[in-house]
Amino acid sequence: MKKGGKIMPYPVFKDNREFIKALEANNDLVTIQQEVDWDLEMGAIVRRVCEKKSASPYFKKIKDYPNFEALGAPLATYKRLAIAMGMNPDASVPEISNEYVKRTTGDPIKSILVDKKKAPCKENIWIGKDADLFKLPGPMVHDGDGGRYLATWHFVVSKDLETQAVNWGMYRQMVFDEKTMVGPVLPFSDMGKMFYGKYVPKNKPMPFATVIGCDPLSGVAACAPSPIPEDQFTGMLMGKPVELVKCETCDLEVPAHAEIIIEGEVIPNLLIEEAPFGEYTGYRTSPREPRTVYRIKAITFRNNPILTVSNMGVPTDEGQLLRSFSLGLEMRKLLESQGIPITGVYMLPESTHHMVVVGVKPIYSNIATQIANLIFGSKLSPWFHMVIVVDEETDIYNKDDVIHALATKCHPIRGIRKYEHAVGTPLYPFANPDDRKWSRGAQVLFDCTFPLDWPKSDLPIKVSFDKVYPKEIQEKVLKNWKNYGFKD
Amino acid sequence: MARKEYDTFVLTDLQLLPEDKEMEVIIRDLTPADRRYKYRSTFAMAMVSKSESKYPDLLWVRLGRGQLQEKPWSIKVIKEVNKIHEA
Repeated sequence: MKKGGKIMPYPVFKDNREFIKALEANNDLVTIQQEVDWDLEMGAIVRRVCEKKSASPYFKKIKDYPNFEALGAPLATYKRLAIAMGMNPDASVPEISNEYVKRTTGDPIKSILVDKKKAPCKENIWIGKDADLFKLPGPMVHDGDGGRYLATWHFVVSKDLETQAVNWGMYRQMVFDEKTMVGPVLPFSDMGKMFYGKYVPKNKPMPFATVIGCDPLSGVAACAPSPIPEDQFTGMLMGKPVELVKCETCDLEVPAHAEIIIEGEVIPNLLIEEAPFGEYTGYRTSPREPRTVYRIKAITFRNNPILTVSNMGVPTDEGQLLRSFSLGLEMRKLLESQGIPITGVYMLPESTHHMVVVGVKPIYSNIATQIANLIFGSKLSPWFHMVIVVDEETDIYNKDDVIHALATKCHPIRGIRKYEHAVGTPLYPFANPDDRKWSRGAQVLFDCTFPLDWPKSDLPIKVSFDKVYPKEIQEKVLKNWKNYGFKD
Repeated sequence: MARKEYDTFVLTDLQLLPEDKEMEVIIRDLTPADRRYKYRSTFAMAMVSKSESKYPDLLWVRLGRGQLQEKPWSIKVIKEVNKIHEA
């Protein structure tokens, strides 16, 4: 934030370690002193934490890896997101959303480069032969996965060959052997466009750096589909510049306070089988198939590094929560930039960021179609395929209210518009194998607004406590609620 | 000496894993001497059989989405192939 022309930081955390302390102070951390096996046990604990919305597990002893620790499910709840943003842990979703939009609407804050001596991520450096991926406690996250996924809550730094633009993005990485990782890089993703569009045609390897255990807001930024460079976006969320440091083997820069950095090159014209993996949709959908290859050159890390572990599966994990959160808010910015009279946009994390709910004041006919056309026309649309447009009397943050509107206001024929020939992803469980292979999708709009041409006298009246009782009766009932004997 | 154990993924059809024929396959080491190297993958020239006892080592087979087949096969690893360096 800027005060009198001076940048004022928000009360946020410079690294993962400060964040862990904050989770503990807010009773949102379980420190596990008992030894835990990286082979499925750790993954099973994190999975159960996600499904029960429990506190983050902090693993102090990992079998076979005495000098490493791990933090599970670092941002799998809105409470932890609020803590990460330095807000009241009990802040509501609209409050967190408004704060996020406020912070990320101003001027980008450029990162600063620090000396290697001041960068904790350089406390230990393995180069060449010493750089061995099996020396890191990459977990076997789910039984049946294609390998150990070292990178589940992390980001990959890469640079455009022509424009030198830097990208931070979350691309999962499976350990293949000591020096090799593999993972999907979809052609429409930012890194996919860089690598497959520019490096591969010139048969040039692309330098990369995988950042594991970053401060929480760098992770949020790496998930966010904003056009602002992610390091600057992180600065906006923090209210201060991110501190970066040069890599050892390439000219990329990485957060100085991260726990583990893996440096290397993405190899052109070579694919190796990757997957299956339990994915954010809650299924193992994309099959094992030849995918992008990363060869490593160096590993640098802090003393006693803390690996961050996410476990994708049925809701809610951080991928679903943060991706839903930031995708929804990018759609809000898009619709507001076009002057559409929306009341808000929310993506239900339980929909695994497949469903966008838009609240609108329906002041002209077919406004829902206009909204869907804008949203489905965005470059982010391959990640979701359902738009639900509701009027202002529906609370977009309330699942029950949205389901009620969908089931009662959306006409089964006139209210549904289908969009064919859309861009999809191989991860859609409903797509057939051929559609998955070619990233083909389809999209649908559910218009849950009543048509404007209906006479007012024909409009159904919503029967709810706050709609069909006079104000004075509502106030009387609320005032006496506990006196009646109710405890809630 | 205990038999070594590996596993491999067959994308759709077990017919893609022909028996008693020298072929290239990706296998994962399930019983390395140093446990930290469990699940290390490698390209190998090998021969496999549905018979659990025909070849020296055990081979567990999984389908493309991780489904483990009930009974193990057996495998003879002839040599590792360094396809990545060859690329």
